Amino acid sequence: MKHEDVVCPFCGCLCDDLEVTVEDGHIVGVKNACGISRSKFMSHGLNRVSAPTVEGKEASLEEAVRESVGILSGARRPLVYGLSSTECGAISKAVELAEATGGVLDNTSSVCHGPTILALQQVGESKATLGEIRNRADLIIFWGSNPTEAHLRHITRYSGTAKGMYVPEGRKGRRIIVVDVRETGTSKMADQFIKVEPNGDFELLEALRATVRGVALRAEAVAGVPMDQVRALAEVMKGARFGVVFFGLGLTQSEGRHMNIDAAVGLVAELNRHTKFLLTPMRGHYNVAGANAVTTWQTGYPYAVDFSRGYPRYNPGEYTSVDMLARGEADAALVLASDPASTFPVDAARGLAKIPVITLEQKITPTSMLSRVVIPVATAGIEAEGTAYRMDGVPIRLRKLVEPTEGVHSDEEVLGMILEGLKGGAEK
Amino acid sequence: MNGIEVTLISGRTARQGIGLEEGKTSQGYIKSVNEVSLCPEDAASLGLSGDEPVTVATEHGSVVAHWRVDKGLARGTAFFPYGPWANQVYASSTDGTGMPQFKGIRATLSPAAGGKVPSLQEIVESMRRAEH
Ligand code: SF4
Repeated sequence: MKHEDVVCPFCGCLCDDLEVTVEDGHIVGVKNACGISRSKFMSHGLNRVSAPTVEGKEASLEEAVRESVGILSGARRPLVYGLSSTECGAISKAVELAEATGGVLDNTSSVCHGPTILALQQVGESKATLGEIRNRADLIIFWGSNPTEAHLRHITRYSGTAKGMYVPEGRKGRRIIVVDVRETGTSKMADQFIKVEPNGDFELLEALRATVRGVALRAEAVAGVPMDQVRALAEVMKGARFGVVFFGLGLTQSEGRHMNIDAAVGLVAELNRHTKFLLTPMRGHYNVAGANAVTTWQTGYPYAVDFSRGYPRYNPGEYTSVDMLARGEADAALVLASDPASTFPVDAARGLAKIPVITLEQKITPTSMLSRVVIPVATAGIEAEGTAYRMDGVPIRLRKLVEPTEGVHSDEEVLGMILEGLKGGAEK
Repeated sequence: MNGIEVTLISGRTARQGIGLEEGKTSQGYIKSVNEVSLCPEDAASLGLSGDEPVTVATEHGSVVAHWRVDKGLARGTAFFPYGPWANQVYASSTDGTGMPQFKGIRATLSPAAGGKVPSLQEIVESMRRAEH
């Protein structure tokens, strides 16, 4: 059976034009997908967690849930972390669970676009859907982002080569500029590559902002970029009909972090005196935007939320997972839809290895290897349906294409079982 | 030791994305993240050749990794894909932002004479051992 317009649950592009062929309950073909997406659909059965385990030994789902309830109800400072590679129903359940345990809730944006959120909360954001950008943008700037490695179809579907209503020529109708610390696949296909010194983005953004405002800077070069080039770029930006800066972790994970984004917003605000200009973060995990959205509408805050006082409090730097784990503050963790043992710096990962961890996962990961309890779950968007938010904030419905293995439930269902157990215990 | 100073940058790659969807225990994933890229001139100045791995060291930690040449990198810049190997050298301090610095770190590269690239299992074990 052929499924059309399937949504890809891998990156923040959430491409919704895939064609997936299912035979006898197995995926046998996928069309329109990029290499990563193809791997996700075709390999979704490989290296799966085959059964629930407790202390590395196979257990029934009931035993694994009971052990999880025991760990969480005995913990003083449990951390619920991950969320970005699952659907919104599960995220909502995780919020409820974190509240019920009086713990801390955090998602992977604390190590990707957390600094973006910090800056946008201060200064606001001018944004549009990817559809509008595709139809109107004539100047695309990738700043510290590299879609040819991380968002493989972004350029063809939304930004670079796509033909749009007011950009009917596609690639010819758009100018593409890359600002990065190194040459990348994206810089090679761009019209211009501007090489900035590592950790020099803040200076370059501020110099551009001043130049757009008409200030004559006396410097000869800023962050390794000659002033002539800065002035020329400012003119190109001002002259665009509709410009976009797609920025990535090159800005959020280097020196300055949220201040880099603050500077980028300032530049874009300045440009809006001359023309239409936008700023869009290249969100990585397919539903990290949803993790922020759901957590915000339920707690008021997008990540790093503490429930220990019975009401939500927000403090990135304190209630963020890397800090909590590196400080040795968390005394238990529930991890879903992410692999912090692989993605956190070693001290934070060691902090995770020291405490009892419950992991809901499809595949064997370093985090599942460290966990006291591992519960296999269905893959959202392949074996379970749900909603995800694209990088521009557009919600899209994910489909269920095949049945999960017998006895394997969705993240939402397993979280629901643990939550029931916690509530049952509380009533006794 | 004939090491060189570099600015280390971490990031995503398509190979890593493809590999991680096969599974973190798959060879595809492991090979995509246990190697550091440097420019041909830096590789030559370190006298690197063949299969001999390199040691990547920062103030914070060190790890032995495979290496590859990337002509797109400038001298003094090295690229280490996100993953358990790269994470051995990054600090967990976030300067109050929640975000560790994964890009633009001072590091030293040197030939890992006789060194061996740790397996995923060994990295996980070393995290566990740190608990005692
Ligand atoms: S670009 Fe992203 S969303 Fe689109 S097919 Fe590739 S991985 Fe999936």
